[in-house]
Amino acid sequence: MRKTLMAIWLVLALSVPAAAQISEIRIADTTGDWGYPNAFRHYPRGPGYVRMSWVFDTLVWKDENGYVPGLARTWSFYPKIMAFAFELHPKAKWHDGRAVTADDVVFTISYFKKHPYGWISLDHVDRAEAKGPHQVVIRLTKPYAPFISDVGGTMPILPRHIWEKVDQPQAFDAPEAFIGSGPYRFKDFNKAQGTYLYEAFADHHLGRPRAERLIYVRSGKPLVSLATGEVDLANIQPEMAEPLRQKGMAIIQDERGWVKKLMINHKKPPFDDRRFRQALAHALNRQEIIDRSQRGFGTPASYGLLSLDHEMYNPDTPVYAHDPEKARALIAGLGYTKGADGILQREGRPLKVELLSSHITVGGQSVADRDGEVIKKQLEAVGLVVDLVNLEQATTDSKVKNWGFDLAVSGHGGISGDARILNEMISSQFGAGSVNSARYDANLELARLLDAQIPEMDVVKRKLLVQRIQVFHAEDLPAIPLYHPQSMAAYNPQKGIQWFFTRGGISKGVPIPQNKMALLR
Amino acid sequence: MDGRNVLSGEWNKRWTGIAVYLLGAAVLIYLSYRLPALLPGDFVTAMFASSHVTLTAEQDAQLRAWYSQRPDFGQYLLGLLRLDWGYSFAFLTPVSRLILEALPWTLLLAGSAHALSMALGFWAGVEAAWRRGGRAEKAAVGLMTVLEGLPEIATGVALLLVFALHAGWFPASGAQTVYARLSLWSWMLDVLHHLALPLATLVLAYLPGNFLLTRASMVMVLGEPFVQTARAKGLPPLRVRYGHAARNALLPMVTRFGLRIAFMVTGALVVETIHSYPGLGTLLFSAIAKRDLPLIQGIVLFSSLMVLAVNVALDRVYGYIDPRVAHAR
Amino acid sequence: MHVDPFGKLQSDPWFLSGLGLALLLGLAVMLGPLAAPYDPHDMSFVPLASPSAAHWLGVNDGGMDIFVELLYGLRNTVAFGMAAGGLALVLAALIGMAAAWYGGWADAVFMRLADVLLAIPAVMILIVAAAFFRPVPLSLALLLALLTWPSTAKGIRAQALVVKNRRHILASRQMGASNARIIIRHLVPELFPFYLIAFAAKARMAMFMEATLAFLGLFDPSRKSLGLMISFALKYYYLDIWWNWLLPPVFVLSLLIMAVTFLAVSLEKRFDPRLQEAL
Repeated sequence: MRKTLMAIWLVLALSVPAAAQISEIRIADTTGDWGYPNAFRHYPRGPGYVRMSWVFDTLVWKDENGYVPGLARTWSFYPKIMAFAFELHPKAKWHDGRAVTADDVVFTISYFKKHPYGWISLDHVDRAEAKGPHQVVIRLTKPYAPFISDVGGTMPILPRHIWEKVDQPQAFDAPEAFIGSGPYRFKDFNKAQGTYLYEAFADHHLGRPRAERLIYVRSGKPLVSLATGEVDLANIQPEMAEPLRQKGMAIIQDERGWVKKLMINHKKPPFDDRRFRQALAHALNRQEIIDRSQRGFGTPASYGLLSLDHEMYNPDTPVYAHDPEKARALIAGLGYTKGADGILQREGRPLKVELLSSHITVGGQSVADRDGEVIKKQLEAVGLVVDLVNLEQATTDSKVKNWGFDLAVSGHGGISGDARILNEMISSQFGAGSVNSARYDANLELARLLDAQIPEMDVVKRKLLVQRIQVFHAEDLPAIPLYHPQSMAAYNPQKGIQWFFTRGGISKGVPIPQNKMALLR
Repeated sequence: MDGRNVLSGEWNKRWTGIAVYLLGAAVLIYLSYRLPALLPGDFVTAMFASSHVTLTAEQDAQLRAWYSQRPDFGQYLLGLLRLDWGYSFAFLTPVSRLILEALPWTLLLAGSAHALSMALGFWAGVEAAWRRGGRAEKAAVGLMTVLEGLPEIATGVALLLVFALHAGWFPASGAQTVYARLSLWSWMLDVLHHLALPLATLVLAYLPGNFLLTRASMVMVLGEPFVQTARAKGLPPLRVRYGHAARNALLPMVTRFGLRIAFMVTGALVVETIHSYPGLGTLLFSAIAKRDLPLIQGIVLFSSLMVLAVNVALDRVYGYIDPRVAHAR
Repeated sequence: MHVDPFGKLQSDPWFLSGLGLALLLGLAVMLGPLAAPYDPHDMSFVPLASPSAAHWLGVNDGGMDIFVELLYGLRNTVAFGMAAGGLALVLAALIGMAAAWYGGWADAVFMRLADVLLAIPAVMILIVAAAFFRPVPLSLALLLALLTWPSTAKGIRAQALVVKNRRHILASRQMGASNARIIIRHLVPELFPFYLIAFAAKARMAMFMEATLAFLGLFDPSRKSLGLMISFALKYYYLDIWWNWLLPPVFVLSLLIMAVTFLAVSLEKRFDPRLQEAL
């Protein structure tokens, strides 16, 4: 009798779904090396930030629906004193066992003021004060609309007891440099192999993470890696979706958080004339670019630069239809005539432009860029002479930064994140350091609007301003947004984790489905 | 009879032999050392103008400083002897460590591929030569000749496509599952699992050559009078084949084996790249892609040393295999 | 050597198949541009289209016709092989014969030089040169020739030494013929079969190298090559393109190398004096 009972109990115990604890999760990445996972060592691109986000928590975080608590349990804004108050989770701990307190937040802000972190801006922050062990008030000098996204959701909190003695954060590579309050401890990073190993931090205040170990593996063939079970999550090309679905994988698709852009050197004639830039827009056939270069997977972008899925997207942004005749007419209006060979020329000199093209990282993957070839053909059909130069991304970036180019094909994420991205990508005041910024200051009204949207704390009023900014961008075209490539990922649902694309992107707008919340549910 | 007689031909030959390899190594090392100067224009820009590395202003200045204070060749060599092989800019680790990490995999792959194909090819070649004229022999020669005409790229890609990408029976990349906490046995199986496809590709590439060479040598040897004598003496065929005849056919194989091992770094480069196997070939290729000069120099140096060492070792081995050579010393 | 050198070859199945393949491929190389329905750099087609009547092998990811790419890639590979093989042969012949004929210090110097070159891995130098200096393919072919002449030169030298001491040569010298005359009228032609073998071997290796370098992406990306096609097709492994995009260049490359291999093997069988009795 007893034996039978034991047997029944055993069968029941074994047939009950296994505890939600998984031994390891493996994630595939084509590049591999994104730098060491702390604020000063990770590479300045999305995947680099994500590698750090496992180890370091921010005050606020996001999931697929919007903002959720991070280190802070609650937060509120006090317009009268222009300050944000955060109440930290009392159980929050550092990986070395010490408690996370308001002092750490205060210290982090003053430390980042001294040693700037490129992903956030503390210009509008006056100072932070600890009002209690877990209450912190951050005072602003001026109103700052992107505060929750920026300081709240992107700024990693550093442990004071470790970093207060560090004068050279970039050189600090002792093991303590990686002590954070995030759900995972950093264990190992092999630069040559491009692999990362993290181990679960059982005492995390939001609960023990579901996977004991988190491993990044470098794999150039996500379809195979997923199908053979070598990895549990990978970014995929759209054509891989069906075969993977048949193998039982779950497929998720991102909102349109990444945009391909044609950078223009608007400091140089004839690109300095708005009409010429508009002519270029008419000359381009963006759907053709999508069909040829992305095999049809993509959506034409808004000329206002902001993502079509953004809350503040303006559907009435001006559009430039593919119209080669109009393009020619506009250019003719600038004094160019069509020569016998069909090439536009002025004063005997043909209209020659140099187009830079390169390998680009999209959502963490490196892809060859065919856009350049298609754009070249489209511009040549209108009568320009186009010299297509294929360079590596770093070289293109540096040429663009130094204004050593005519046109360049580029791209970036963040366009579904906070509308501050428009400031970064349009004006040189905010975008001086970015290789994706148009650095366009010629339109005073546009500049005024950009300045006005940052301190506008009223969401409705801010939306109006942002929508007008998009219209101006579309009219002036400091850069021409081309399209949003289709970004998809696949994961193995049998592991019990449901990965998702974050609404608005991780932190500032990183369109990668590696959100730590998926492992904390 | 005194082997140490400096004037004897063999002695001379031996040392000029080594001198030649030393010279070859020196040329290579010098060339790699001079590479920045040989590049057209400003070498830092030229180097990184077409590479994947993002140079911050700090790194750019650092590189320029490093290259302008280049030690002269003598100092460079001294540094090498002190085991200071330089620091990789792309991987931010000492070059020697990177090479040591990749070396075991190349040794495993190339070593076992050569050993397997040599053993198999030798055995098959000897047996085929013994059975000369028969149907099996003709078929084997035919098959091997066809196989000889298949380039490594073709076999490598075909194997990868069929067994890794479509069937999923073998991994498409890597030498082992990273960060896997496996017992020794499981780990060895895991390594073999990852090794299977690149090994198969290399064996298929090397086997035909070894087979045909052995067979040709054996056929020549079998025609020699001493073999007839052995047969006439009534010795068992196996003994005649291996004990007497094959040993003489061994010499060319050993030479070939030695040469292949000497050039191991580049020998398996394509196969390593196709199967993403993290050996020295892949490392060299990454180094070139990232324009990491110290790493390139380190690998070139290592390769030259390999060639030198293997040839010196080969020399000794000849002595054991061919008593005539040893006797002449 | 003067007596019906090619007689036995005609019945050798390897020679015949090698020759057949070579002729077929040679035809493709010669008539390639004429037979090609499109320009190889024409990107106007729908990318990754399946094979159809208009595109026999379909279209690649850049919108270029695969069949045309195949033809032009084959041409480039063959051209590289011929150039490198030919240059290596010429170099090896000149050096080998000079070393054999003149002997003395010329011989010593050249042979030592050959030994040193043999100690250097050609692949490494080629890869570094191709990556850093981006030379035109002809320069790379020349570089390859400069690195690979030693083994052939040694062989030619050995053969020349044997021929040098043959009676009719000695007779010519006795009769007062100049060095140049003897070399040109006797030495060069008598080594002819050896040239074929050497050329076949060197061309084979060169074509193999070209495919490898192209596969590794070390040539100009707009230069068509079988190796480059394979590398690109492999990137799209997840699409159903293995049979029309990946397989053809692999197949053609294999046929090419096989053709040269068969020719080399059969020629070696027939003409290499060391193997005369063996096979």
